[in-house]
Amino acid sequence: MICDQCGERSASVIVKQQQQGQITELHLCHICAAENHSINIAFEQDPLAIHQLLSNWFPTSQASINPVKKEIVTCPSCGFTFPKFLQLGKFGCASCYDEFAPQLNEIFKRFHNGNTEHTGKIPASYGTTLKIKKEIEELRKQMQVSIHGEHFEEAARLRDEVRVLSSKLEGGASSGS
Amino acid sequence: MAVERFLQPRASSWMANDGENVDIAMSTRIRLARNLTDFKFPFSFTEDEALKVDKEISSVLLDKGNELDYTFSHISIEELAQLQKEVLVEKHLISPYLANSQHSSSVLLSDNEELSIMVNEEDHLRIQSLQSGFHLQDAYKIANELDTLLEKNLSYAFHEKYGYLTSCPTNVGTGMRASVMLHLPALTMSHQIQRIIPAISRLGMVVRGIYGEGSEALGNVYQISNQLTLGKSEYEILQDLENMTEQIIQQERRAREAIVLNSPLVLEDRLYRSLGILTHSRLLTTEEAATCLSDVRLGIDLKMIQDVDMSILNELMIFMQPAFLQQYADKPLQPKERDFARAKLFRERLNKEGINSEGEDLA
Repeated sequence: MICDQCGERSASVIVKQQQQGQITELHLCHICAAENHSINIAFEQDPLAIHQLLSNWFPTSQASINPVKKEIVTCPSCGFTFPKFLQLGKFGCASCYDEFAPQLNEIFKRFHNGNTEHTGKIPASYGTTLKIKKEIEELRKQMQVSIHGEHFEEAARLRDEVRVLSSKLEGGASSGS
Repeated sequence: MAVERFLQPRASSWMANDGENVDIAMSTRIRLARNLTDFKFPFSFTEDEALKVDKEISSVLLDKGNELDYTFSHISIEELAQLQKEVLVEKHLISPYLANSQHSSSVLLSDNEELSIMVNEEDHLRIQSLQSGFHLQDAYKIANELDTLLEKNLSYAFHEKYGYLTSCPTNVGTGMRASVMLHLPALTMSHQIQRIIPAISRLGMVVRGIYGEGSEALGNVYQISNQLTLGKSEYEILQDLENMTEQIIQQERRAREAIVLNSPLVLEDRLYRSLGILTHSRLLTTEEAATCLSDVRLGIDLKMIQDVDMSILNELMIFMQPAFLQQYADKPLQPKERDFARAKLFRERLNKEGINSEGEDLA
C-alpha cells in the first residue's frame, strides 16, 4: 500500500483516529508518520515532562528522606509526600515549600540556572515587612563585624537600630492583621 | 450565553498586523501564575475549595475590573460544549489543560480578548496578556497592572525566599512566562534554526515549534520564551528575552536577504505556487495550508506578493483549525470534510480581498 500523505513511499504505519464516534484510518510511510503532528495548537505546553526530569535527578528514594528526621517527609497541610511531589512534579500547597525546603534548593538550582532566591516583584502587602526584615538582616551582619573589630559603641548603635525596626515590624504585623 | 461572542470567527485585536518587527514577530504573550494563601493548590484541593477559589477570584475581577477600564465576561468551563472549548483553545484564550479540567474552573475574558484570566488551571490564577507584534513591555505592563489590582483584593501565596508559589517548580519566583511567536521561514529553509535552538536553551530560554511536540515547526512558526523564573527580576527576564528575540529577528532578516540574492526566481516561483494553492485548491490539509501560509506571508514581507492583506493571513492561521472550521460550518466535520471546508474558507477569504479566483491578475 502507498502512503496516503506523500503518495510515494510504501505505507508501514497505520494511524487510527477516533473523533466524534467516527474512526478514520491513515496509512503512512515511516517518514510521513514521524511528521504526522496531532494538530492542536498548544501555545504553552511543558516543553519537558517535569516529573521525568525529577525522577532522573533523584533516582533513589534517598532524596525523599529528611536528612535530620530520617523519615519520609509529608506535608501536614495537603498530605503530599516528597516522593509524591517527585512523581507528579507538582506541589500540593504553599506549605509544601516549607516542608520540603531542605531538598528544594537542589531542585530549583537545576531548573533555574543555579538560582534559589526570588528577586522580582513583591506584593505590596508583603513589601514593607519584607523590606524591614532584609534591613534587619543587614544591620545584624554589620553588628557582628563591629563586635569582631571591638567597636562596641558602633555595635550598640546598630543594636538599637535593630530594636527600632523590630518593634516596627511587630507593630506593623499586629495592625495589619 | 456569555461565551458566544468569543466563539465568532472574528479577529481578536492581538491578531492585528501592527507594531514593530511584525513581519517576523507575530504576537507576544505574558503569563503570570498566582495562587491564593487560604486554599490548597489545584493538584490537591477539594471540589469545595475549587468552587470557593473560582467564586472569590471571579467576584474580584467582575467588581473591580472597571478600575482598569476592563469589562470581563465570566465563562464557566464545565458549561461549555466540547467544540466551544476547542475553539477557545485554538484562539489561545484558554489552555488545553484548562479545557480538560476535571474540577470547577473558569475563564474571564476582557472584551478585546487581550486579557484572559484562567481560574483553577494548574494554579489558582493564570493571568494571560496577549498583544500583536513584538511588545513584551506593553504586554507585561497590562498583566502587571491587573496583578497589582488583584493582589489588593486577594491574598497571594508568596514566600520571602521563593517568591510567588506555584504548583510547578518551573514557575516559582516571578511566576512569569513571556513568549514571542516568530515566523522564521528563511532560518528554517537554510537549516540555521537547528543551530540556534540548542544555543538559546543554554541561556535560560527555549525555542520550539508552536504546533505540538514535533521537532519540526509547522508553518515555520516558533515560540521563544523564558525558561527561568527564579533569581531574575521580571525586568531582567524581559530584557534578556527582548535582546535574544531581536538577535533572532536580525538573523532571519539576513537569511532572507541571502535567499533573495542567491535564487530569487526559484523563491518567487515557490511563493506564488503556494498562493495558487491557497486560492484555488479544493482540498487543503492543515499541514499544506500552514506551509503555504508561511510562503505567502514571506512573499508579502519580501514585497514579491503585493495584493494580499497580512492581517487576513493571521486570522486564517487561527480559523483554519479543526474546531473553528466546524464552528464556522455549524456542524461536526470529518477530517476529509474539514479539508474541503478549509479550502473553501481560504478561497472565500483570499479571493474576496481582490485576488481574482481565475488568476488572470497573477500573470
